[in-house]
Amino acid sequence: MTRLASILLWGGISALGAGAFGVLALSRGETLSAAWLLTAAVCTYAVAYRFYSKFLAARVFGLDDRRATPAERCNNGRDYVPTNKWVLYGHHFAAIAGAGPLVGPVLAAQFGFLPGTLWLVIGVVLGGAVQDFTILFCSLRRDGKSLGQMAKEEINHSAGITGMLAVLFIMIILLAVLALIVVNALKASPWGLFTIACTVPIALLMGWWMKRWRPGKVGEASIAGAVLLLGALVAGGWVAAQPHLASAFTHTATAITWMMVAYGFVASVLPVWMLLCPRDYLSTFLKITTILVLALAILVILPPLKMPALTPFASLGEGPVFAGKLFPFAFITIACGAISGFHSLVASGTTPKMIARESDARFIGYGGMLMESFVGVMAMIAACTLDPGVYFAMNTTPTGLAQASQVLSQAGFVVTPDIMHQLAAQMGEQTLIARSGGAPSLAVGMAQIFASVSSALGGRTLTALWYHFAIMFEALFILTTIDTGTRVGRFMLQEIVGHVWPRFGETSWYPSVLASSAVIVAGWGYFLYQGVVDPLGGINSLWPLFGISNQLLAAVALCVGTTILIKMGRQRFAWVTLTPLAWLVTVTMTAGWQKVFSADPKLGFLAHAASLTGSTLPGAQRLVFNDRLNTFVALLFMTVVTVLIVTSVREWWLVLSKRKVAVVHEAPFVESAYAAGD
Amino acid sequence: MRLVTDGGSGRQKAAQGGTGWRHALRRMFGMPDYDAYLEHCRAAGHEPPSKGEYLAQFFESKGKGVRCC
Repeated sequence: MTRLASILLWGGISALGAGAFGVLALSRGETLSAAWLLTAAVCTYAVAYRFYSKFLAARVFGLDDRRATPAERCNNGRDYVPTNKWVLYGHHFAAIAGAGPLVGPVLAAQFGFLPGTLWLVIGVVLGGAVQDFTILFCSLRRDGKSLGQMAKEEINHSAGITGMLAVLFIMIILLAVLALIVVNALKASPWGLFTIACTVPIALLMGWWMKRWRPGKVGEASIAGAVLLLGALVAGGWVAAQPHLASAFTHTATAITWMMVAYGFVASVLPVWMLLCPRDYLSTFLKITTILVLALAILVILPPLKMPALTPFASLGEGPVFAGKLFPFAFITIACGAISGFHSLVASGTTPKMIARESDARFIGYGGMLMESFVGVMAMIAACTLDPGVYFAMNTTPTGLAQASQVLSQAGFVVTPDIMHQLAAQMGEQTLIARSGGAPSLAVGMAQIFASVSSALGGRTLTALWYHFAIMFEALFILTTIDTGTRVGRFMLQEIVGHVWPRFGETSWYPSVLASSAVIVAGWGYFLYQGVVDPLGGINSLWPLFGISNQLLAAVALCVGTTILIKMGRQRFAWVTLTPLAWLVTVTMTAGWQKVFSADPKLGFLAHAASLTGSTLPGAQRLVFNDRLNTFVALLFMTVVTVLIVTSVREWWLVLSKRKVAVVHEAPFVESAYAAGD
Repeated sequence: MRLVTDGGSGRQKAAQGGTGWRHALRRMFGMPDYDAYLEHCRAAGHEPPSKGEYLAQFFESKGKGVRCC
């Protein structure tokens, strides 16, 4: 392409994106098409990938295809395998994409579609994709070492231990929040619970198929599993229509909580091939297929956005979905999709061991995160196609809705019990009121989009089927994260305790397996239970804790990245990681401080506890205890990360002032055999 | 020189009976691929494990991987 053609092309894409942003920002009062959101996002991704990621790859990191990657040097045919970049892109995306980019934007839609979309798009370009790419590059140059190992080697030993503890604590909160989303989606839903319950025997059958009956035939087993799953989905509708069967699958949130806890424990102690692996394959197939279909459906119908660009809750801070103003809470509510600390664990896990040449890291690390952000934008579109009144009725408790009723009616967000009843009937549910957590409202949005495409085939019946398909899709991969998260948490606990009691560190010693699994499950199970019995719905207190912890993990990753850049002598480019780091620290520390010390009982844990002191309401003492526990957890996260940041800043100062020799722990340069003859 | 990587070079391998696409899908979805591993062992001069041993090690290793939220 000639230089002029290139300038015209990229100038045109930039102008189109800027125009789309202009329409989104300036329009008020009229219904907008989702096409504007998609155009603004895609044009920004294209420009950022073409120019910013190229700058990062060439100038900041100095990616060098003459240098052999760990996949080439340590090729063992199993973990370390040079892999085609498109294939690895799919593999990496499947590992980083979960419920987060779907649920966060749905909750943040409380502020309107604009703040969340801007954060998704700008946050990913300057923050999330930079973090993923940086950590992938750092791990790639260190034989695929983990984030904790890199923190230990490049900062110091205590930073490594602090990072490891931070990951363990964060994982417990993460699992509790994800489990709460599933509980809220399945309570009093016989169709949903039946379908999800069926996934357990289906996964067991798949495990037996691919391990015992037809060893290694994962594709066959997965196809059979997918067919059975769709059968279970259709059968769920029939079960829900039979009163005696429906009652067997209609349970309260508390009962489902105990089922989840039991499931998590069993999944952690069973052999991995029996339940975890088959479920993982099933959820990966379903995840990738559904996301592709959703993207296609949105592109085909370009639904109108019924939610305004900004709602009154952006400035009032009295939102019924979660308390707090736009700043800082929009930025911690949307974590995955804009920037997610958890990605640094994947970017320093399997992916760097499979990269064939260094330049592929740009496409996989930066490009993979752009795709996750696009998923977040689609979730935002699905949520904003709902009538705002329906959205708020679904995402808060009746008490919260009553408290916000004046603001809602002034904004014109009106919903009647009749509308909610009709919608529930259309979706094949008993009720859709107070289905907080984001998953049910996303499912309604997705069902309406899918049903618009397939209306010629069945109309109303298919809407209910699509709704339960969307619930199954979300619940399935949340349960996969719970399986793997509990297991990884168990390994971490065994490793930590193994330092003082070596026998406990043996991952195959059954007493240790049972005890460590029980501790991890009890940890997230406790937070899950307190979320379920919380009169404000649980999401109100747990989702901000999850957002804060996830973003703080991103801060840890960016500290490691900045340290490595400075030690490499690239301090003039340290702003690429320092800018998102400074933003994240500002946002998370402000949010953490407000969650703990705000005088508003709806926002601050301590103020809420004080408002209940002396109360004779049932369960008041437990709520007070929970508030104090949440305070402790928030302060613990903030302290741990502050320690790590201070340690990092000290290291930067020592290196930059030449008081310490900068030693990078890169693997030695070995020329790539692939590069010969280039 | 064109870099030939596992699971890649699409159309060329597809023309040879679709093996390339099967390898690519297996790698993308994190599935075991014993044939590819045998090929690796042959090239590296290692004694390959039995299929059962390979599968047991593969699934155990997969169980330690992280899935993001």
